[in-house]
Amino acid sequence: MGLLENRFDDNIVVEKLDKLLSWARSTSPWFFQFGTACCAIEMMAAAASRHDLMRIGIIPRSSPRQADVMIVAGTVTMKMALRVKKLYEQMADPKYVVAMGSCATSGGPYWQHGYHVLKGVDLVIPVDVYVPGCPPRPEALIEGLLKLQEQILEGRPLTRKTG
Amino acid sequence: MSEDKQALIDDAVDKALAGDMDPINNIEDRVTRSKAKAALVKAKRAKPKTEIKSVASVIHEDSNTKSKDTIEQIVMTSLAKSFSDFLDGEQNSGWIQIKAENWFGIAKWLKENDDLYFDSLQCNTGIDLGEGMLESRYNLHSMKHLHAIEIRIKVSIEKPDIPSVESLWRVADWFERETYDMFGINFTGHRDLRRILLPEDWEGWPLRKDYEEQETYHGIVVPKVKEGWE
Repeated sequence: MGLLENRFDDNIVVEKLDKLLSWARSTSPWFFQFGTACCAIEMMAAAASRHDLMRIGIIPRSSPRQADVMIVAGTVTMKMALRVKKLYEQMADPKYVVAMGSCATSGGPYWQHGYHVLKGVDLVIPVDVYVPGCPPRPEALIEGLLKLQEQILEGRPLTRKTG
Repeated sequence: MSEDKQALIDDAVDKALAGDMDPINNIEDRVTRSKAKAALVKAKRAKPKTEIKSVASVIHEDSNTKSKDTIEQIVMTSLAKSFSDFLDGEQNSGWIQIKAENWFGIAKWLKENDDLYFDSLQCNTGIDLGEGMLESRYNLHSMKHLHAIEIRIKVSIEKPDIPSVESLWRVADWFERETYDMFGINFTGHRDLRRILLPEDWEGWPLRKDYEEQETYHGIVVPKVKEGWE
C-alpha cells in the first residue's frame, strides 16, 4: 500500500473511527450497473479501460444489493420512474445517487412537451451529485464521481446529529 | 490488341449472351479471357432489364386497355367487382379511402387474391385529423408482384372502432397496439389489445390533438413543475 507505507511511525494511526469509515466508503463507491438511455454509453466508456473508473475504486455491480452508488444514466420515463424508485429502495444503506446527463437532472430535451418523461430524477429519489451534459463526457462523469467521493469523505456516519 | 483476338472475344461474348459460357472459359490467354469477361459484363449491362411482371401489366393485358392505370385504380376496379359500397368519400390517386365496416373482408381479399397478393403489411399508423375524426392508415406491399398501396380508414373520435387485421398479418399485432396506445383507436377483434409503450394505467391518448397530460402518475408530478427555471 503506497498510500500508507512509511507515513506513520511505529504503525500506529490515531484517528476518529468516523473518519476511517468515511474514508473507506469514499474509496470504494461501487455503482449499480444500469442505464436508461444514451448516457449509459458514456458511463460504459468511463468504466472501460481508457478512462478506467476502477483506478479510483469505482467498479460496476450488477445487483442493487451490492451497490453503493446509483448512476441514473439517461432519460427516465414515467414508466421507468417507478422501477428506478424500486431499485433505489432495494439498495443497502449508505446509498448515493448521481444524476447523469440533462435528462436525469431536469428532463432534458423533453422538458416542455415530453408528457412521458420524468422532469428530473430528483422528483423520485434524492440526488447527491448532478452531472450536466447531453451526454456528459466520461471525464465529466469522473469529475462528478470525485465530487461524490469528497461528499462521502465529509460525512460522519457515527456522529450523533443534534438539533 | 490484334484483330483476331478482338474477333475471338466478340464471338465468345455473343455465345455467352446466348447462355453458353464455355467459349469464354476456354480462352487460354489469361488477359484475353478477362477482357472477354469484362466485355460480357458490359454487354449484359447494356441490355434492357426484363421487367417484373406486376399485376398492373397482367390486368392491362386482360382488359386490353392501353391506358396506364395506377395500382390504386386497378385495386379499386377489382374491389368493385367483389364488394359494393366500400369507398368512403373522395378518392385520390395516391390512396384508397374505405369504410371501416368492410375492412376485414377487404383486407382478407387483398391478401389472398392471387393477382394482388398483398402479403406484407409494412406499416399501420394513426392520425388525428381534427374535427372529431381519427384515421388509420395501412401500407400494404406485395413481395410477389412488388407493388404497394395505401389504405385509409376514417372513424369518428366518439366511436373509433376499426376491425383488426391482426389475425391476417401477424405484424399488425404490435402496429395496432401502438396505434391504440397513442390514439385510442379500438381495433375490434384484436386478441391482445393492450398499451404497448405507455404504462397500462396511463390516462388518455397522447397523440390526439385534445390531449391533456395528467397531473400526477402514482404520486409523481407529470407536467413541468420547477418554477423559475426558464
